[in-house]
Amino acid sequence: MTSRLVRELQAAIGRRWVLYAPEDLLVYEYDATIDRGLPDAVVLPDSAQGVAKAVRIARRHGVPITARGAGTGLSGGAIPCEGGVVIVTTRMNRILEFDPQNRLAIVEPGVINLDISRAAAPHGLYYAPDPSSQKACTIGGNVAENAGGPHCLRYGTTTNHVLGLEIVTADGEILWLGGRTTDMPGYDLTGVVVGSEGTLAIVTKVIVRLLHKPESTITLLAIFESVTEASRAVSAIIGRGMLPAALEMMDKNTMDAVEPFVHAGYPPDAGAVLLIEVEGLAEDANEQAESVRIICDELGTREVRIGLSQEDRDRLWAGRKGALGALGRMAPSYYILDGVIPRTLLPSVLDGVYEACERFGFPVANVFHAGDGNLHPNVMFDERVPGATQRVLELGEEIMRLCVDAGGSITGEHGVGYEKRNYMSWIFSEDDLEIMARLKAAFGAADCFNPGKVFPTSKGCGEVSSRMRAAIAKVGPEAYV
Amino acid sequence: MVTQANLVGDLQSVAGAEYARAPEGESFTVDGMRPQVVAEPGSYEEVAAVLRYANARGLAVIPQGGRWFISMGNVPRAYDIALSIRRLDGIVEYEPADMTVTCQAGISGGRLNAHLEQHGQMVPFIRMNPDDNMTIGGLLAMNHSFMRLPHGAPRDFTIGLRVVTPDGRISRAGGRVVKNVAGYDLCKLHIGAMGTLGVIVEATFKTFPSPLAREDRSLEFGSLRDACEFVFEAERRGTCLVAAPIDRRQRADGDRFVPVSGYILNITLAGSPAAVARSCRELDEMAAAARVKALDPDLLPNIEGMPEWARRGDPLNVRATVPRSKVPDLVKALEAEPRGLFIDPIDPALGRITAVWLGLAEPEEMLGRFRALVTRLGGTLLVIKCSDDLKRRIDVFGDPPPAFELMRRVKHQFDPNGILSPGRFVGRL
Repeated sequence: MTSRLVRELQAAIGRRWVLYAPEDLLVYEYDATIDRGLPDAVVLPDSAQGVAKAVRIARRHGVPITARGAGTGLSGGAIPCEGGVVIVTTRMNRILEFDPQNRLAIVEPGVINLDISRAAAPHGLYYAPDPSSQKACTIGGNVAENAGGPHCLRYGTTTNHVLGLEIVTADGEILWLGGRTTDMPGYDLTGVVVGSEGTLAIVTKVIVRLLHKPESTITLLAIFESVTEASRAVSAIIGRGMLPAALEMMDKNTMDAVEPFVHAGYPPDAGAVLLIEVEGLAEDANEQAESVRIICDELGTREVRIGLSQEDRDRLWAGRKGALGALGRMAPSYYILDGVIPRTLLPSVLDGVYEACERFGFPVANVFHAGDGNLHPNVMFDERVPGATQRVLELGEEIMRLCVDAGGSITGEHGVGYEKRNYMSWIFSEDDLEIMARLKAAFGAADCFNPGKVFPTSKGCGEVSSRMRAAIAKVGPEAYV
Repeated sequence: MVTQANLVGDLQSVAGAEYARAPEGESFTVDGMRPQVVAEPGSYEEVAAVLRYANARGLAVIPQGGRWFISMGNVPRAYDIALSIRRLDGIVEYEPADMTVTCQAGISGGRLNAHLEQHGQMVPFIRMNPDDNMTIGGLLAMNHSFMRLPHGAPRDFTIGLRVVTPDGRISRAGGRVVKNVAGYDLCKLHIGAMGTLGVIVEATFKTFPSPLAREDRSLEFGSLRDACEFVFEAERRGTCLVAAPIDRRQRADGDRFVPVSGYILNITLAGSPAAVARSCRELDEMAAAARVKALDPDLLPNIEGMPEWARRGDPLNVRATVPRSKVPDLVKALEAEPRGLFIDPIDPALGRITAVWLGLAEPEEMLGRFRALVTRLGGTLLVIKCSDDLKRRIDVFGDPPPAFELMRRVKHQFDPNGILSPGRFVGRL
């Protein structure tokens, strides 16, 4: 059956762009998580028409379809957990139109996030969402997962920066949702496809909104003796109505990993640091920076470094965005969590996270978007130790419980994927989930796009989770959080 | 057979005796149609019970609050029950230090913000001088906001909703934290859906710090292009614009309005004192360089003396949204055929103009030509208000969008019996 599928795909897309040999497929069985799933065939179309043809062929053969960009996702979004055809968008990497006057760009899904800002820079514009993987991740994947990043605190996530989408539906039809202007008539289907984790449609073009670069950006590094003190400062900054562009926290374990690797300038003996950025007109940014400094002082900071050079700034951010890769050196394996809590509860929930990790006997490094209340505990362990993987998963579940009990969410930016689909019922009722399923039904997507993701299901659950459990582990130096 | 009498009786048993009644006067009329019964449920469960009742009998329900936007949308196919959410007007949870607030949909934007203002915060969708009966349910159903430049539309700052479906399920979308990607973002689906997929009964928003300073500037330009370019340059310089609409004073002359002023740009700046002071300096410097006159912001009325012909018939009120760069082209084309036309305002930053025709004998023909022009410029046109008679003959949204078939399927999944505002939405969904 596979060979007939492959022959049809070859005829439609070109021989060179269809992979089916086992050694070729292996490259497409993983992403930045630890899950694995082997596709039956991989196809790399270079146009929406090519994607549409591949979708129609796969549908005819009744095999699932999974879209894939750069494979940097952190919830297994690009993993074909039930096999089938993987449609890779990396050849669709053109910026089709750049319209500085209307502050938008029309791009193909395989365009790398940072390349949009690079192209926009000569016009004083940029694309705001900045996941740490922005040098590698594609805009198609960003749309699928509604990707975030440090600067989403002020500017919002991907969904706030996408005006329109061209999609290929489950019927292989090419359709435009939204457009170049806001307030297009009809339902905001752009808004529901963003963040649908590739389960509703495959995105083939994206209209992104661009912002003017602020006149002044000031980076502050506030150094604290403990995570508790640093999290109190975060709560105070938000609680006093400040909206910095970014407000990130790194704990000691993270800095210990980052420093020898990146030499970013993080203090070796501090308990935690806040990396804060304020932006705006120069006078305004100066005042914001001063207010932040005063709040940190009041809350017992050891030191606030301010007035950093561009070079220092770049090094601190390189350290922050490369933290996950650096952590890869600290333990044979680690497990990245993603949860959200109300920002006032940061101190108590973080205490809970450390307490749980200690009780389970695993070191943890916290590096996260503190201003949004978006936690990323990274649990270090050794998968070769019998039972360790199982216990890490139990710990992860307990930390997710802490987030949900605090009134939060099971994911802030990485997505549900399959790892977390069975936690969905912790925050949504059966009715809520049934209503989400209606949307999927309206898209006619049934289970053809990215099956096994997002929704809790009993189907194949044991098999999938045992595979996941066996695989949970390695994240390479190219991983980001 | 459902008669009005037993409809009222049945809904009284659901919502309580005082809260279901036959409508008096025109107070619940939609496009000239009167409902058989008005229901004002006092809880989410009662909303669910009303909808279940209507759904089982195929009765048409039009959800409404302050009725600010009730003239928008096509003429309903049927209208049995006016479902008012005005009694659902509480604040459910407000934690200022989290900068989030949860409230019921029947509260007015003004009341909500008066509450938040005690903590120096706001939800950014109302005018600075609040119109008090604009409910947040209506603002969400229309995705409407008066402060789009700094903070975007309601879709951008709403983080959670509670929605009652036609089959009476009280469902939740999103949550109470500012960042959340768990499951489909159904908030987006309901915001701007004009109540055709479910009834929004509760919402959670990100709050924002209230601006501590505000300044207004009025500048008169000879050319619209220069006025638009001024706004774009102010944005490039990062000034803290809240609104930048352009008006033109006009007076009647024969069968048309003629301009008696240039293009008057009314800029509102708001933010921190430092940001506002610096923004004022930037604008003043730009104005001096462009040799633009500053006006006394104490404005004259925009229109002097309404002539007899302009009072005849109903006004045709439309809103066009085009790519920002096309705004001058659109206005220029409009000004070339000015009979009965009154433009107010032109908003280059949002790429939007609102136009009203008064005393038109052939509004349909004018509408057709204008719509074709807007479409050619890559925009869309919405008829906000017109005579009931014209409304019966047109689709206020124009031709259905490319994804209409998909929208039809969404409507069918969420409201299979078509009871929610039937016929009012895009393509008469």
